[in-house]
Amino acid sequence: MADFEPKIIAFCCNWCSYAGADGAGVARLQMPTNFRIIRTMCSARVDPEHVLRALSKGADGVIILGCHPADCHYIGGNYRARRRIALLRMVLEQYGFDPKRLRLEWVSASEGEKFQNTITSFVKTIKELGPTPLMGVE
Amino acid sequence: MGFFDRLFNKHPESCKCGCKDDKKEAKKDAKAAPTKAAPGKALPVKAAPKEAVNPLDAFPLLPGAPPGGKIKLAIYWAAGCGGCDVSLLDTAERILTVSDMAEIVMWPIAADGKEKDIEAMKDQEITVSIINGAVRNTENEHMVKLLRKKSLLVVSYGTCACFGGSPALANLVPGGKDEIIDYVYKKCPTMKAFQDTQKTPVVPKTSVMTPDGEITIPELYDTVKSLDQTIDVDYSIPGCPPTQESIAQLLAAVAGFVYNGVALPPKGTMIGVTAKTLCEECPRKKEMRRITKIVEPHEIDVDPELCLMDQGILCLGAATVGGCGAKCTRAASPCRGCYGPTKMVSEMGASVFTAVASLFPVLDGDPTCNEEEIIKIMSSVKDPLGYFYAFTMSKSLIKRSVVEKKKGGQ
Repeated sequence: MADFEPKIIAFCCNWCSYAGADGAGVARLQMPTNFRIIRTMCSARVDPEHVLRALSKGADGVIILGCHPADCHYIGGNYRARRRIALLRMVLEQYGFDPKRLRLEWVSASEGEKFQNTITSFVKTIKELGPTPLMGVE
Repeated sequence: MGFFDRLFNKHPESCKCGCKDDKKEAKKDAKAAPTKAAPGKALPVKAAPKEAVNPLDAFPLLPGAPPGGKIKLAIYWAAGCGGCDVSLLDTAERILTVSDMAEIVMWPIAADGKEKDIEAMKDQEITVSIINGAVRNTENEHMVKLLRKKSLLVVSYGTCACFGGSPALANLVPGGKDEIIDYVYKKCPTMKAFQDTQKTPVVPKTSVMTPDGEITIPELYDTVKSLDQTIDVDYSIPGCPPTQESIAQLLAAVAGFVYNGVALPPKGTMIGVTAKTLCEECPRKKEMRRITKIVEPHEIDVDPELCLMDQGILCLGAATVGGCGAKCTRAASPCRGCYGPTKMVSEMGASVFTAVASLFPVLDGDPTCNEEEIIKIMSSVKDPLGYFYAFTMSKSLIKRSVVEKKKGGQ
């Protein structure tokens, strides 16, 4: 599994995490390149259907990044996202996925370094888990 | 630990989800419930029920045999419970006039047509095939493909045919058919006593040689599919079972075509559903209350006027397409989602739990609380996958349970 390069979908909220990712890029922080960012207006915009669709199309992991609690641009979006993702994680576990394939993290606009660390550790986790169990299933 | 072990396992002692306090709090809720309806506040008077309209009026009694001769009608039963077949009889005396219009060439539950009779027919000789039930084994697949070949129109009738229905929950057994057969024939308590008396376990085989020749039975599939995942389908009628109205609409459409040459609805039409969700039809009042606990209807005094979600009962109406007339919620029973999602939604379960998760209020401690506390809050939803996807597993994006090669990955 040494040559396994996971495909990771990262949903970043427009106001904090996307700017955080930008910050990480501007600061030239080094991190694995296994992730594709999808910008959403808020972490609460990420419908569980988006995550399930990503997984069903072969993503090895999905990470959702939003503003810190009490920091949401829309006041309470990230609290909703947090509840949904907790429920979604329960659903994924029932399907048989390792719940670690879905992560929710808070990264603010100034936290390029946290973005780097989060992505690095998530890629590491997914590499340990191996490819998505969905592959090979019709 | 296998699927069935987990299913019948008692809740572990170590569980932190707070389920032990459930009963206590439920009682509290029950006591609190009557006070909810404040005594001074006059409850809105229930709108007088509309004049009793016979839903079957859409499908009038037929005037004898059609001018061009009787059409051929086939009704087939795949992996379903038979309730859909019985629901066709809900058309009361009108079902008798159906035989004026059509010759029923196959209806395993009521008529005599056999597979070989269908095979002997020309292609597209049957005008309408109404198929209920999901596709779960080789026989189902063979028969629905055969009927598709011999029919002009195929109607996917009932939730199992449209979305997989309850049979599709078998997709959640990770070991697939082997685990199911192993449990049903060897491990379940009623069979175990019998199997213990045998030298080798007796399990059904797909083919057995007997002195009189080979006997074959259909082979079970690992994944239960909906009808339109197997064959091309012209119309769908969801429902478990579909209502009288939708049956009347279908028969009226067919009769209109047969007698008067009225154009049939466009292909892919969902018959008997509305554009909006069930909430649109539900007479209950929504007060946008936030809930902190999920309850079952038997645990509380259900307020007859108030939205079930507001009362903490998990109702799937918010994500289920309307058309059934909200029969369940009128009777204080939550919607279980048998009509499937609205046209715009492909993943019904996901849209339900998005709504359910948003019902939980933002707490004072929310900015500082950690993930474990959120998991504890959300754990009050028991078995989310089985509940939210009870009827639509075949149409879900993931479709069946998966097995991680490496467990843990710590």
